[in-house]
Amino acid sequence: MYDICIVGSGAGGAPVAYELSRAGYKVVVLEKGEYYTEEDFNKDELAVCRRDMFTPPLWEQKHIINEYEEGEYKRYDGAEYNWNFWNGSLVGGSSNLMSGYFHRMKPQDFRLLSTYGEIKGANVVDWPIVYDDLEPYYDKVEKVIGVSGRVVDHKFQESRSSKDFPYPELKTNGATKWFDKACEELGFRSIPTPRAILSQNSLDREGCYYSNFCGSYGCASGAKGSARAALLQKCNAQVITDAFVYRLESDGTKVTKLYYKTKHNIPHIVKAKIFVLAAQAIETSRLLLNSKDEYFPNGLANTNKQVGKNLIFSAGGVGSGRFVFEKLSKSQQKELMEVGVFFNRSLQDWYEYKEEKQHFKGGTIDFLFEHQNIIPRVNEEIYNDKGELTWGKELMKRIEKRVTTSRVLTFEVFNDWLPTDKCFVSVDKKEKDKYGVPVGVINLYGHKQDLQVGEFLAKKAVKVLDKMGAVEIDYSISSSPPPNLVAGGCRFGDDPNTSVLDKNCKTHELENLYVTDASFMPTGGSVPYTWTIYANSFRVADIIKEELKNETDISS
Amino acid sequence: MNNSRRKFLQYGFLSSSVFLFDGCNLFGITTPYATIKVLQNDLVPQAELLDINTIGYMHLVFKHTRISRENKDFLKNGVKWLNEESIQTYNKTYIKLTQYQRENLLKVVAKTSWGESFLYDIMSYTFEAMLGDPIYGGNNKQAGWKWLEFQGGLPHPKKVYV
Repeated sequence: MYDICIVGSGAGGAPVAYELSRAGYKVVVLEKGEYYTEEDFNKDELAVCRRDMFTPPLWEQKHIINEYEEGEYKRYDGAEYNWNFWNGSLVGGSSNLMSGYFHRMKPQDFRLLSTYGEIKGANVVDWPIVYDDLEPYYDKVEKVIGVSGRVVDHKFQESRSSKDFPYPELKTNGATKWFDKACEELGFRSIPTPRAILSQNSLDREGCYYSNFCGSYGCASGAKGSARAALLQKCNAQVITDAFVYRLESDGTKVTKLYYKTKHNIPHIVKAKIFVLAAQAIETSRLLLNSKDEYFPNGLANTNKQVGKNLIFSAGGVGSGRFVFEKLSKSQQKELMEVGVFFNRSLQDWYEYKEEKQHFKGGTIDFLFEHQNIIPRVNEEIYNDKGELTWGKELMKRIEKRVTTSRVLTFEVFNDWLPTDKCFVSVDKKEKDKYGVPVGVINLYGHKQDLQVGEFLAKKAVKVLDKMGAVEIDYSISSSPPPNLVAGGCRFGDDPNTSVLDKNCKTHELENLYVTDASFMPTGGSVPYTWTIYANSFRVADIIKEELKNETDISS
Repeated sequence: MNNSRRKFLQYGFLSSSVFLFDGCNLFGITTPYATIKVLQNDLVPQAELLDINTIGYMHLVFKHTRISRENKDFLKNGVKWLNEESIQTYNKTYIKLTQYQRENLLKVVAKTSWGESFLYDIMSYTFEAMLGDPIYGGNNKQAGWKWLEFQGGLPHPKKVYV
């Protein structure tokens, strides 16, 4: 019998494993994928990005996607349409593969309903905790996971208990100066983007070696603050790999058993005092919905039918502009093409804004160079500017010129994906995965305000690119969900009728079941989620520690 | 059996027979190997200039466990359809056409839905051969990377992922 059994080894699960095992409790972590370490990671574009070595093949494990369009859902089979919602099945989860753009949520993100009021068609609520409850844990993440950056004053800078980041900002490309100058001329505030990457050796990990291939790849130095490098490799929690958890069983008040299978379909049972789910938002809801028993015929902790509801992503989109040698001096050309170092700039001037007398919650814009992967950069030239397929010498010439004499700066817009009744997780009645378990169904819908806010922010980013002298400036704001920025499905709240978890992220209905991945988030803020997931998981770890301590005190 | 014959047979799927029909009659037999080799050079001539072993890489593509059966079948069907289009237009298989005829045929085929996808896929795999890590055997002494002044990331893989 374990004290704690955790499902999933990523940013949601690992802080609990780290804290509880270091406090002397017997902890087991179940991970579907394999255990890779710094020694195993390399920059093999073919394996990592073309053959998706860290996610399951869709013909073995897929999702069904129902996209809401014009009054009805259109069904897509994920395998058939190559629509992939997996983010990383390996120890440490997708935190191994993240870019580590780390922003805290801001106080108003915890109070969306009270600050901005109701929005028609959206289930906007306040969180049951406030920013100040999470601030000490954001601070802890900076120190334990390792966040580098430089705090600058700006009108939406959230309060901080530490004056600055514990690690200085990473080295940046010379073109960053062009950005800062353009922002100054436009009256915008350029912010160095905080990163979950060590800029120097620390925490028994090596600092960044500027490999030029960060996002999508595992880090070979340990500089990136993955849940594995920063936490699991530093504690004695037992990690069992090749363990796909497919069912939990209860006695009506507690989870009593957990069932998992290996890739060869060998079943296993785990018993523990406390169970923690952190399999990423969609899979956590799927597991609960698939865990039906006589006490919970709708699935575990789902008497109120709230499990899977209010699934959210990060709304917004992407855009880009190209810098071409023809418009640059020799020294600027050299600066532009310097590889390895980061761009690392963000804008948060419009975290909230007014338009036509209406007060809107806005968001964040991160700027970064186009990913250095060479194959997609070359493939995108196969079509000419008229949209025609090209080949032969004409194509060779174009590729050579574009790749060697220009570089693309991209931006990503993050704003709220408003929670609605139409966006939720369910399980399919027919389709099963290779383990014989019903697959998750992702029912997708984006609220029209998400697009309106995204457009507003993208136009600001375009102004910067234009001022900097970029050409071919373009952007796309849409309701298409970024699979790596997913949350909700088990929202926390004070009312057991409208939420799955209480404010401690424990299920209202089962006294030993917690959820610590992004499922708990009723709204997502306008930043990438990982920092908040880490922080909240450290918060819940403290709560569980206290609970186990009280239990020990009582029994002794 | 001589070495080249043995090497050819090692290509497995690439060396398998593709039956070509002229309308409803059997016209002849070809292999994906023969057609793809010529086609790659027509589409991505830089590969030959850089001495990139693009056809050897296609062997990896056909045996890769992470490339679906449907995608592999599509490549094989593409070879068949390209040749059948060639037979219907010129009464010859693709590899027997002159360069001018092949170019004209590609222009026609690129306007069809299957043809556009097929040519894109062949080009995409050829660029994988040229620009993937040299450990995969295509990117000869990093010639593809040097062509585009590209620095591959470190560390390099120690083994191929198939």
